[in-house]
Amino acid sequence: MDEKSAVNMTDGEDGESLIREVVVANQHGLHARPAGKLAQLAQTFAADVVITLDEQEVDAKSILDVLTLAAGQGAILQLRASGSDAAEALDRLEALISGRFEEE
Amino acid sequence: MAGKVISGIPVASGIAIGKAIFVNRSHKATLPRQTVAPALVENEVERLEVAFANTAEDLASIRGQVPDELREYSMLIDTHLLMLKDPLLLGAACDYIRSLSLNAEWALEKAVSDQADKFGAVDDPYIRERMQDVRVVADRVQSKLAGRSKDFKAIQGRFVIMAHDLSPADTVELEVDKIMAFATVQGGKTSHTGIMARTLGIPALVGVSRLEDDVNDGDLVIIDGLGGKIIVNPGEDELADYNERAAQFEQYTRKIRRHCQLPAETIDGFRVQVHANIELVEEVAAVLDNGGEGIGLYRTEYAYMNRTALPTEDELVEKYAELASIMAPQKVVFRTLDLGADKAMNQYGDLNEANPAMGLRAIRFCLKHPQLFKTQLRAILRASANGNVAIMFPMISGIREVRQAKAWLAQAKAELRREGFEYDPEMPVGIMIEVPAAVMIADFLAREVDFFSIGTNDLIQYSIGVDRTNHHVSYLYQPLHPATLKSIKLVVDAAHQAGIEVSLCGEVASDPFCVPILMGMGIDSISLTPQAIPGIKRIIRQTKMRDCRELLRKVLECRTVHRINGLVMENIFNAYPEELAFFASLLENDEISA
Repeated sequence: MDEKSAVNMTDGEDGESLIREVVVANQHGLHARPAGKLAQLAQTFAADVVITLDEQEVDAKSILDVLTLAAGQGAILQLRASGSDAAEALDRLEALISGRFEEE
Repeated sequence: MAGKVISGIPVASGIAIGKAIFVNRSHKATLPRQTVAPALVENEVERLEVAFANTAEDLASIRGQVPDELREYSMLIDTHLLMLKDPLLLGAACDYIRSLSLNAEWALEKAVSDQADKFGAVDDPYIRERMQDVRVVADRVQSKLAGRSKDFKAIQGRFVIMAHDLSPADTVELEVDKIMAFATVQGGKTSHTGIMARTLGIPALVGVSRLEDDVNDGDLVIIDGLGGKIIVNPGEDELADYNERAAQFEQYTRKIRRHCQLPAETIDGFRVQVHANIELVEEVAAVLDNGGEGIGLYRTEYAYMNRTALPTEDELVEKYAELASIMAPQKVVFRTLDLGADKAMNQYGDLNEANPAMGLRAIRFCLKHPQLFKTQLRAILRASANGNVAIMFPMISGIREVRQAKAWLAQAKAELRREGFEYDPEMPVGIMIEVPAAVMIADFLAREVDFFSIGTNDLIQYSIGVDRTNHHVSYLYQPLHPATLKSIKLVVDAAHQAGIEVSLCGEVASDPFCVPILMGMGIDSISLTPQAIPGIKRIIRQTKMRDCRELLRKVLECRTVHRINGLVMENIFNAYPEELAFFASLLENDEISA
């Protein structure tokens, strides 16, 4: 239970898409404000980004989708991006999530 | 001529008289549901897209005008804007128009209903509630589709806001200084409407089910946020009466706020401690501003809810120590985790019980999960080095539970000592008396602990066997039921016999009708919501202990709630005529149901 906020970076490749795992570090998980920030940032990229948690896969650009993941603190999200700016999208999203959404 | 009276749940006190204006009405019944000819399908898609775009424009402009008082709500508007752009709403609705030839309104409702299904399946209650935001956004679009929109800027003068439901965005669009009160059909005690109204210092009622049937735009209304009613198109006499009450109430609130830092001491010199119930460190300001003399109940659940991983000991220590040191030398009583029942934690699926109020909750839950319990005990102990800290265990039903809990506490102390952490070795240990079993053995329990705290909300619920959130039976929930009063008396007497202090932290403590009776029993301290402290302190300062004891004696002889209410009413009328004007309506409600 005593997990640290450290980010588990395992950049991998899956066909044409890049995969990365990030731990949700902020206290209340992906509640409305962080989910909003995440979707908003994802929308700025051309790449498609999907988030997987416990076999549930959602579109990172949809706040409704991201919210229904109900990811709490400590949840390990798998981000998968494909498209021209996929690597940059992953970098920025990871920084946002591991930076606790600039909340705390 | 008298106006029509409709009732609701008061969530912010005060009285306002003004013209009613609806921000939105429920339009589900009138929502047009038609299929359209194939040739018109793209028209319908465009109509929907335009409505979404116009709604987004509105929201963006509203966002730019958020007044300082409501700054925190601008984030909610951001969320709404993102939902408007979300392909799961607009995209899905457009798909419905194209695939099923539905009109825009119907297609949008179907997209919303898909989301409702998805959100409804989420375990996390916080996330489930976000569905309301989807609804609010969709309602705005529906209004655009219907061509309904109001130019609030054009309205002259101040007005009373009526709504089916009120979202922060709805409020922000209005000019805050023009709003005199809120009333909504939807909503409960904890809805945004109440929070906003209290922030703005205006009265508000929620759950006014007849609002849309009985009120029209432009009607003159009296919003009675003390008695929980609305008077529609009042007569001359009612207007005059309420104008006077409103003025009196304003004067009264100003006066009690001025005196709230004085001690809660009766005319004949008896002192009662008045503490506050809080759950966030941020509430400390409200406690101090309102004259609270300590924290009688710090609810520790908040740090555990809506998260996957448990809080660490250090994380808890940081919070607890901050609170203890801000309040020192005044006391902070930490109630150990009171989870279970309605307050389930994400990571414990076993809390989905058939009968949660009687299931694995509070101290039972903690004793079943000793690791989790000990982390919290260690954190509270470590915080005790920084201030005046006490601990109490909720939902105790027998001696064995107290001893087990105390054994874990002793073990936590031993560990901390070995590890070299500081703590207060004399930290008082108390229990909450919330179930009839604890009442009946209060004399035994009193020998095990340093203090009692009576939690009347649960005690009444378990004594009378009534779920007060169940509207079929909630009328049975009676703070002044003879059984409730006898139970409290029994506990107070048992505590004093054993030489320990007794506090009361349920809603009864903030009820001006109950407090004189509690005083008569000799309660040592009461703990209540910070905003209610000034009014209650004022009651106590006008009281003679002799009169309270006499009132108690008479009350304990009564066999019915009805009779007790009558006596208490009479007492308030004689001793505190001013309070009567503002709180009598609360009692009227009780009497109707008694």
